[in-house]
Amino acid sequence: MPRLFNVSFKNPVFLASGVFGFGLKYKRVTNSVGAFFTKGVTLRPQSGNPPPRIYETASGIINWVGLENPGVEVFCTHVLPQLKKLRTKIFVNVAGSYPGDYERIIRTIGNEVDGFELNISCPNVEKGGAAFGQDTRVAASVVKRARKCTARPLVVKLTPNFCDPREIARACVDAGADGISLINTVYALAYDVHKKQLLIRGGLSGPAIKPIALFCVDRIRDCGVPIIGMGGIMSGRDAYEFLLAGASAVAIGSAVLRDPYAPLRIINELKTLMGKDAGKKM
Amino acid sequence: MGERSMDTMVRALTIRKKSWYNKNTVGLEVYAPRIDPQPGQFFQLRVSDGVDPFLNRPISVASYTGGKLLFIVKVVGRGTDLLSKKQVGEKLTMLGPFGTPITARRKKSLIIAGGIGVAPLYFLAQKLNARGASCTFLYGAKRPEDIILKGHIRRVAHRTLFVTEYGSKRRMTAVQAVHGLKMDNYEVAYTCGPRPMLIELQQLHLPIPVYAFCEDFLGCGCGLCLGCAISYKGTYKRICVDGPVFELSGIDFNA
Repeated sequence: MPRLFNVSFKNPVFLASGVFGFGLKYKRVTNSVGAFFTKGVTLRPQSGNPPPRIYETASGIINWVGLENPGVEVFCTHVLPQLKKLRTKIFVNVAGSYPGDYERIIRTIGNEVDGFELNISCPNVEKGGAAFGQDTRVAASVVKRARKCTARPLVVKLTPNFCDPREIARACVDAGADGISLINTVYALAYDVHKKQLLIRGGLSGPAIKPIALFCVDRIRDCGVPIIGMGGIMSGRDAYEFLLAGASAVAIGSAVLRDPYAPLRIINELKTLMGKDAGKKM
Repeated sequence: MGERSMDTMVRALTIRKKSWYNKNTVGLEVYAPRIDPQPGQFFQLRVSDGVDPFLNRPISVASYTGGKLLFIVKVVGRGTDLLSKKQVGEKLTMLGPFGTPITARRKKSLIIAGGIGVAPLYFLAQKLNARGASCTFLYGAKRPEDIILKGHIRRVAHRTLFVTEYGSKRRMTAVQAVHGLKMDNYEVAYTCGPRPMLIELQQLHLPIPVYAFCEDFLGCGCGLCLGCAISYKGTYKRICVDGPVFELSGIDFNA
């Protein structure tokens, strides 16, 4: 049983935030992964961005969903009771428009979940998001304030955009982060050639970004806390590459858009690849 | 409109029959007993075993009789081109059925199809016919050769009207043809077609409820990714699970 930040996980394959909603569908999948990271939860309800929200590109997709979610209060009353019934570790992805939002969301949820993932890397919101994750001082201050509100594991999700993840990771660890997850999506856009206008501006995910993600994980491998690596993982082989780059666990994102059962296959493939050392590797 | 709570299976079924309706529209038939999809539902078809193109393609059910499940694919890009190149005997990997089904009620129905939008409406017409509901099938396309399933539609609809924008005597769009119909004869209308057609139809403000089968790029197809938002009655709905059928008057195409 892998053990990270004093929590035992049944395997090192997690479900990344965003692609699996609140995990209440395909429960067989959610119950099989080591941990489930919820869709980003904000202080107030967010209706999300107007369509088009997704666009397919070579080996990937650009999304511009914009953190659509019911807000922390509805999350606590309607979603959390069901989430607690899942047989996996639950991490809530916390997204703020202002640094203070993170504290309020964490305090509202309290000790009801296994941990929190601070989203300082969403590329699709006007306020907060990636802007917090590109500045060491802001990132550190968000983590420090969040740290004061909870004793639960605090994972910080980093952006690969316009910053050195090593600097940001160091600042987050110094401020009290228990783990680092990376990468969030890569800034991207696409044009409609016929209409000669912008089609979508958002975050790129999928196999197209795997090499970038591996680079970023390797870049922070000595950060001193466990790393959850993600970005375009489609197979056990891909997952194993992330472990080689320094990750202690991996998270599956876009792969579930093609096949919601992909995590089950990836868990098995990784198990085979890791052989008997499956648990010890962590 | 409840969400399906059951897990949806991934199936790899052998293509039993393939037929080209015109140079860019192909029918793929698989045998899938016990699925029993309903009008409004679709499947996510796997395009490639590799990762490019990455996403599945949402294709609606065009017919389902005796376990024979028919998809009609119009080649519009790389994904649909790859689908069209699948051969009889090859496996077609699919997820579904997805989407909230609509009930084919026994009402005097008007069907307004545009282009490849004919596929899900043909399935609906079959169900309406089975229910004994009277149905007028109006079908518009660019050119005469784009009109497919003509004989099949004639067999299930009580009245048919085929119009094309070019190359026929009656040069008009489906929406222009709607002007010539007496709305008193109908209780409900169903439509599917390109977005400009739906917008024009919405502007007609027909005196009966009009249900639109919406199409879009879909991510997961099952309500998880929130990628296929549509502005409906003031909030964002997911085309894949809240739809794909919505009341046309409630859709805000400008949002």
